[in-house]
Amino acid sequence: MHSPRYLSLLMLAPALCLLALLTVYPLGRSLLLSFFATEYGFEGASFVGTENYTYLFDDSFFRTATWNTVAFTLMATVSEVALGLMLALMVTRSFPGRWAVIPALVAPYVLSTMVVTAIWSAWFHYDFGFLNNALRAAALPPVEWLFDPDLAMISLVLVDLWQTAPLTFLILLAGMQAIPLEVYEAARIDGASPKQILITITLPLLLPHIMLAALLRSIDSFKIFDKVYALTGGGPGQATETLSMFVYRLGFRFFDVGLASAAAVIMVIVAGLLAALYARNIIRSGSDVA
Amino acid sequence: MWRSPLHSLTVYAVTGLMLLPIVWMVGTSVKPPIEYVSAEVDLFPDSVTLEHYRELIEDDIAGKVLNSLIVALGSTLVALLAGFPAAYALVRLSFPKQLDLAFLLFVLLIKLAPPLVLAIPLYQVLRSLGLLDTLAGLILVYQVYTLPFAIWMLLGFVRDVSISYEEAARIDGAGLLQRLATIVLPIMTPGLVATAIFLMILSWNEFAYALLFVQTPSKFTLPTYIATLITEDETFWGRLAAIGFLASLPILAMVGVIQSALLRSFGGGLK
Repeated sequence: MHSPRYLSLLMLAPALCLLALLTVYPLGRSLLLSFFATEYGFEGASFVGTENYTYLFDDSFFRTATWNTVAFTLMATVSEVALGLMLALMVTRSFPGRWAVIPALVAPYVLSTMVVTAIWSAWFHYDFGFLNNALRAAALPPVEWLFDPDLAMISLVLVDLWQTAPLTFLILLAGMQAIPLEVYEAARIDGASPKQILITITLPLLLPHIMLAALLRSIDSFKIFDKVYALTGGGPGQATETLSMFVYRLGFRFFDVGLASAAAVIMVIVAGLLAALYARNIIRSGSDVA
Repeated sequence: MWRSPLHSLTVYAVTGLMLLPIVWMVGTSVKPPIEYVSAEVDLFPDSVTLEHYRELIEDDIAGKVLNSLIVALGSTLVALLAGFPAAYALVRLSFPKQLDLAFLLFVLLIKLAPPLVLAIPLYQVLRSLGLLDTLAGLILVYQVYTLPFAIWMLLGFVRDVSISYEEAARIDGAGLLQRLATIVLPIMTPGLVATAIFLMILSWNEFAYALLFVQTPSKFTLPTYIATLITEDETFWGRLAAIGFLASLPILAMVGVIQSALLRSFGGGLK
């Protein structure tokens, strides 16, 4: 439709102004601050060049946080895609009560992360938590879910898995429903077994959706903050400190704004790479999901 | 293939297992403390009490609910008001093709950026606007999440409005505002409602910025209030479960709508 160009700009203006104020300016500001040594109040900054970055690369805390984030992202993404796939395979065919089972399976995903965290913090309690009570009932020894350095990260993955497997489930279910039924019928006429159908038809045709689910989940897992903050605070020791938590601790606890900004800039670069992969997928497929 | 009773039973069992934490929450919210501070596996209360809900009312829960509502409604409204014209302009008005794509990519990148990365400079933005520790400030910073989401989701709905209706109205002499009010917005109402629901849930559940930018307890939203309960005392579970259930009720009521909207959007175009 032909409309004057100023009109288009006028209609974009509110969104553009808000995004400029809330994202472009802050990102630029972070980049700038990352080359300064600053104190609380953000005044009296002195230019230090790339010193913050070289410091971070040698800093064992930063390296541990990076490793923790990578480990969490991998474990969460793989387990969430796997569970989502199993759930989707489970309900893809009709059975009595399917209309109620699907929303019920999605329920954990819509809960506030703080509500989810509240439930699991109680479940993880050593003396009275549901999980240890269940272990004791099964005559197994109770476990220090959040205070054992080797287990704490896995406990966080468990919470994330419960909360977000419903999302991967929905993505993969949508993908399965998009596969034409004739394909299955043809395979069945040719005498393929259910297992063969799964491996040679369903999974390959589902691959774009699996990729989408994996990318979405890895982008989100990479940012994880809320659960770590409320369940472990990054501990025990530094066992569950992720990059978001690291930036929080540096910027809002120690007020080392320059160093925190440098860490944030590194995070933006990594997140940007993941997002670019995702964007390429989305634009190529023409989906309106984001 | 597996359309057997055994398959159905497996599905029900797995669904029950997934719902266990929610069932536990609802049960614990009406249990007397003596029942949940125990080493027994026990989901349902032996005697029902409303003391946790009463305590919450005494602790000004209404104020926190109100704060959450104000922030959720406010940030949804702002996102729709800024996002709808932008989405419409991107779909319908003349733009150089590349600019269009660049803007979309930019929106997508912001949507995927870690919130903590923007937190330090946003703190300064809010401070210089005098909006630190205010609900208005939260409404503003929530646009980081809600505005890209709104633009992205509304794009699809604008595309679904057939352009021929608008062409016809234009030939009859209807101006842009008239066309929006009489054709585009009425056709898009279901899409706008769906977008609004998603935006409200996003803001209702947000935690990181609410934690960082609001310090006064009377201005806490539900998630920050819950976080103080989690860390304050480790066995406040009755209250925690009661507040968790209250905060989840409006969202769980809409889970059917959400699930079908998500299923439709993930199905589209990804073949």
